[in-house]
Amino acid sequence: MRILVVEDDALVADAICRGLGRSGFAVDHVGSAEHAEAALELEHFDLAIIDIGLPGADGLALVRRLRAAGRALPVLILTARDGLADRVDALDLGADDYLVKPFELPELAARSRALIRRMRSVASARLAIGELALDLAARSAHVGGDPLELTRREWSILECLALQAGRVVAKDRLLQAIAGWDEEISHNAIEVYVSRLRAKLGAAAAIHTVRGIGYRLDDVAH
Amino acid sequence: MTSPTDHAGSVQRRLLGLLLIPLALLLAGGILLDYTIVIRPIPAAYDQALVNAALGIAAHVEVDANGHVTADLSQQADTLLRSDRYDAVYYLVSGPDGGYLAGDRDLPVAPGDPRKPTYRDTEFRGDPIRVASDRVPTAAGVVTVSVAETLHKRERARRRVLVSLVGTDLLQLGATLLLAWIGVRYGLRPLRALRDQIAARSARDLAPLDLAPVPGEVRPLVRALNRLLATVREAAEAQQRFLADAAHQLRTPLGGIQAQLELLAHDPGAAPLRDRVRALHEGSRRAAHTANQLLALARAEPSAVVAGDIRPVDLKALVTDAVATQFDRALAAHQDLGAETEPVHVAASDWLLRELLANLLDNALAYTQAGGHVTVRCGADGAGAFLEVEDNGPGIPPALRGRVRERFYRLPGSRGNGCGLGLAIVDGIARLYGAELGIDEGADGRGTRVRVRFAHRLA
Repeated sequence: MRILVVEDDALVADAICRGLGRSGFAVDHVGSAEHAEAALELEHFDLAIIDIGLPGADGLALVRRLRAAGRALPVLILTARDGLADRVDALDLGADDYLVKPFELPELAARSRALIRRMRSVASARLAIGELALDLAARSAHVGGDPLELTRREWSILECLALQAGRVVAKDRLLQAIAGWDEEISHNAIEVYVSRLRAKLGAAAAIHTVRGIGYRLDDVAH
Repeated sequence: MTSPTDHAGSVQRRLLGLLLIPLALLLAGGILLDYTIVIRPIPAAYDQALVNAALGIAAHVEVDANGHVTADLSQQADTLLRSDRYDAVYYLVSGPDGGYLAGDRDLPVAPGDPRKPTYRDTEFRGDPIRVASDRVPTAAGVVTVSVAETLHKRERARRRVLVSLVGTDLLQLGATLLLAWIGVRYGLRPLRALRDQIAARSARDLAPLDLAPVPGEVRPLVRALNRLLATVREAAEAQQRFLADAAHQLRTPLGGIQAQLELLAHDPGAAPLRDRVRALHEGSRRAAHTANQLLALARAEPSAVVAGDIRPVDLKALVTDAVATQFDRALAAHQDLGAETEPVHVAASDWLLRELLANLLDNALAYTQAGGHVTVRCGADGAGAFLEVEDNGPGIPPALRGRVRERFYRLPGSRGNGCGLGLAIVDGIARLYGAELGIDEGADGRGTRVRVRFAHRLA
């Protein structure tokens, strides 16, 4: 998994490159938007991590140009500013995620992994979260090579959680995923499906309950 | 208590006072003048009628060959003379020697002046009367003819004049005052519109006032106000830019140092120094945290807030995001973190409320023991929307609940590595939106419940 880091601050860039390298990513670093465009022209990357405060054209301008050029690679924006404007701009322009400095390296690695996983699942219709593997086209799931027996609704819930692995998914969202046009399903029913899923997944992946909000599927290694 | 307006007075009251009091006096004077002008000729007209009657009686006075004076009024003439709708009429004719010739004996006579008729107000048979006496020269000497009448007709005439004249004058007075009052109210309407325009604005609204409906007299004032607003707006924007730049300049190197130390802590080459590297890493984290808190505090200052930031904020989404963001931390600390939400919106700046909630949640998670519960709630009651975080941690003693809002104040013996700015930030942000920060104990008297109560709600 190859990542392009676009960051002008040497200290931060060095830490990101080393940190992500240690987490198993191949990392390239450039210091400006112009160099980033040139690098993306020449090579394939799975993710770009872009700082907003770049010299010359800023990070937001770079995202805009990438999207205008039709590049679909996931983009994670880094910024040292807070305030709503940057956040809204970044996500509106087509960035996929957003992290405010100073950040923890494991957090950056986890988010990078999630972005790349999501991108790859769109391309290959396959999703891997630790030992859990999902084939979105065949609607089947395996744990360590053994198939899981899942009902239609259990599958829909697992798919929904897996596509957002590492993120909290609201119960309402899960309800929408399993409810047909004419069916009324209660929040309690969701709890029943989730507890069955937990039993079937065993130690392969964890589904955490976020009380009052929903659930989060996590790679147990995470 | 005297407000500033008591000293300057209201323009409307001044105008009305300056207009209405002189107008009322003028009109009252007019009534008085009208009254005297119209009333005065009335007695003169009636007096003339008396004299005419006297002249009529005098025509009956005759002097015979012997120089004997007689005044022979026929019964018919007498009746004609005395017939009057309202008043009793009396007359007396007396000879040159003062002897009785005809009429009512004992009728008082007005004192004499041979050249012109004379008048006298007196009483006769118990009623007030007006007497006119005329002296008629004859061959036998001067004959005095007096005619008198009671005063009913005169009173009646005076009353009628009084009623019609004063009545219409009072009506006119009332109409004039009413018109003046309406005119003043109407004339001051643009001023009231300006007042309402200003009153309807939020205290944070720094947009210029609309000059179009403002009358020329106050336009310079409003222009000066707009210049002031522009200055304040520019200052707030400059402050925001400064803080954004400061944030960038502080966080970038701190982020770099923190990440480098984190790497170093895991570097096998640095193993002998691991404890010191960890301490440095922790220190850089604290510095970053404090820098963040100081920036947040500065950005929550009213002088740094630009009104344009205020939009409807979905509190439910805000709570969901905050809980999702802190979920790992709670998981690691074995705390049960959850939410109880109702859909509700408030008008505020999204990211400042995020900052507010992040600080509340940070405090709750930092001070609640493993196995404890932390619940974030949003909802609304009759008074408005609220946002609250409740934990069953050690709680804040009631006596110190006021102090914890102070900057850099930390509870004695508190754990964690906070800098004592969290609740000061929450308090500052809450104040920006007129919201109230309440600190209580949690359910069944344990822990802490911090509630931010907004004075309004949207949808």
